[in-house]
Amino acid sequence: MKKISVPRENHWLARFQRSTHHGDVLWSGLIILASLLVLALVIAIGWMLWQQSADARVKLGWGFILPTSNATWDPLSGVFQSWAFIYSTLMTSLLAILLAVPISVGIAIFLAELCPPSLRLPLNWMIELLAAIPSVVYGLWGIFVFLPKVVVPIGEGLAILGQVPVLNSFFTGPIPLSGSSRLAAAMILTIMIIPTIAAITRDVLLAIPNSQREAAMGLGSTRWEMIWQVLLPYGLSGMLGAIILGLGRALGETMAVTMVIGNSLEATNSLLKPGSTMASLLANQFKEAVSQLHTDAMIEIGLTLFVITLILNLIARFLVWQVARRTPQEARA
Amino acid sequence: MSKFLRSFVFVTIAFSFLLAACGTVATPAATTAPAMTQASGATAIPASTATPTPLAPGSVTLNGSGSTFQAPAESEYAFAFPLVDPAVAINYQGTGSGAGKKAIIDGTVDFAGTDAILTADETTSGKDLQMYPFLAGATVMTYNIPELDPKGPALILDGNTLVGIYNATITKWNDPAIAALNPQIASKLPAKPITVAHRSDGSGTTAIFTAALTSFSTAWTAGSGTTINWPADKAGNGVGGNGNQGVTVAVQNTPESIGYVEYAYAVSNKLPFAQMVNKAGQTVSASPDSTKAAMADFANAFTPQLTATIVNGSGAGSWPIAGYTYIIIHQTSMTDCVKASKLVEYINWILTSPVATNRAQALGYVPMPSAVQQLALAKLAQVTCNSQPVMTH
Repeated sequence: MKKISVPRENHWLARFQRSTHHGDVLWSGLIILASLLVLALVIAIGWMLWQQSADARVKLGWGFILPTSNATWDPLSGVFQSWAFIYSTLMTSLLAILLAVPISVGIAIFLAELCPPSLRLPLNWMIELLAAIPSVVYGLWGIFVFLPKVVVPIGEGLAILGQVPVLNSFFTGPIPLSGSSRLAAAMILTIMIIPTIAAITRDVLLAIPNSQREAAMGLGSTRWEMIWQVLLPYGLSGMLGAIILGLGRALGETMAVTMVIGNSLEATNSLLKPGSTMASLLANQFKEAVSQLHTDAMIEIGLTLFVITLILNLIARFLVWQVARRTPQEARA
Repeated sequence: MSKFLRSFVFVTIAFSFLLAACGTVATPAATTAPAMTQASGATAIPASTATPTPLAPGSVTLNGSGSTFQAPAESEYAFAFPLVDPAVAINYQGTGSGAGKKAIIDGTVDFAGTDAILTADETTSGKDLQMYPFLAGATVMTYNIPELDPKGPALILDGNTLVGIYNATITKWNDPAIAALNPQIASKLPAKPITVAHRSDGSGTTAIFTAALTSFSTAWTAGSGTTINWPADKAGNGVGGNGNQGVTVAVQNTPESIGYVEYAYAVSNKLPFAQMVNKAGQTVSASPDSTKAAMADFANAFTPQLTATIVNGSGAGSWPIAGYTYIIIHQTSMTDCVKASKLVEYINWILTSPVATNRAQALGYVPMPSAVQQLALAKLAQVTCNSQPVMTH
């Protein structure tokens, strides 16, 4: 290569280049600025929610978020207890994760390890297509097809569990004839987060070096043993990251949930009854709040959702960190 | 090679900065023209009071937000009014009555639309807010009872049965109270539980409907407002839908259900809706005429704020579940007199122009009787800007 002319030792450009480590300082400054922006956004949102909900926090106290057996949400008489919505949010999201993870991991294993090449491309496309469908479309499809055809029969079957002593409060039936219920919300959420988790898990599996596979095979393991005992533990931290993303989407999903959950303010534990999640309640009531306290209470719900998301993310991060610390040894062993 | 790459990256970044710079240069140039016409519009104020010079087309924008119930009418007006006065552009956002009221109190819009009446607190913090009724609408009960013949006689309800259904004290369609009102179809009414659909979003329609329930019977204790805590939900047979659409879908997808929607919406979507026995004991259908009759019942019931509740009227032909929709403006504290005069001109046009009335009627709204119209026009004549009356004719 031809030598590029370098400025003389004391030329101003040379001094400038030296003082900035040839752009390194500027570059890292830009990067730090970008990452600080994320921090600033989180703080700004949290601060706004905290500030705006000040009145509600003082007036409504801890009773607002604490578990209450018969939580009441009555805007007209100014009684606000949000436990029913916190419960619905956690219940639907966790159930969705529980249902989605085995299916998504199955899809990912198939795509990464077992899929014939001719099928791989179309399947990958479809997974990515599913991830890109707007939630309102999931909601519409849910109302007209999924709820009456799938959720109602499943709900009617689950209602039998309403007779079982421990589980009865979770499965008190009957499910409404339209299917609108927490179960419907959880199942729609399951479908919505499957593509996210499956696509990332597939990428994680594909990124595992082939030496791992060869070593496992070389030691005489079968294909299943290789997948279960080598690939999945190796990719566990990445898969947990995918699950966090899915959980985040499930917790915050508004439109589709509002369309299928039945929007009842009633506080029951039953999966088969209509309810409201925190996000769907905000979508329904925020713009037409009847009083200042109602508005403030809605903002406090926003704050609660923010904090819950933060806590769940921290727990998940902690898990990832634990796993990542452990993985190399296990993979080597 | 890596040096080459680095310089390539550098050039790319530099180039993109250059592009960005071009972008920022270009933007002010593009916005200069409208900004200048805005400025000339503003400086034309003193001149226009003496000799009216025509304003540039679209130079005055009237911003409004609020009620989704009146949003279809407002968007018709936004299309039609500039044909009358090209200087004005109307921009109305259907954000909901509550948001509209907040926006006019905060001063972020020139006018607000609402179906809900200003509360005492809002009137105090808004200082000089004035409400102008300009259209009315009826709320109807749509139902889904597969056993009934869709072409046969419609279901008939009265105030007490409706309160009973929404209180979950009447839980089956073959309840004696419902059967007694429907002798023709009593044998077909099923012994199946009623699912009660309601709006899950805060809504003026809910405010009108719950005001009617409150007026029908003292048994209704859940109160009235844009968002309430439904007794049927507590009983476990309630389901909420977002918007008229949401309630309609809930009713259509749930056999043996009932829900309330706006009359205009029910008509345009060809939904079956129930007849009601009104206060005078007559069975009436929801229609523009029966809504007009309800308005006539309460023509003298207006408060100084120009608000009136028109539910459960005593006239023989009155539909019992109806309400006005309002525009809210600042009566005395507007300072931009060009805008103030155009706003008054706009409201005057809505109230008096046959074009506006026809367009609203085509959408299923009911225009006001002339007595109420005169009340509103009298109030409109009192609007002042910088202590000068705005209306000159």
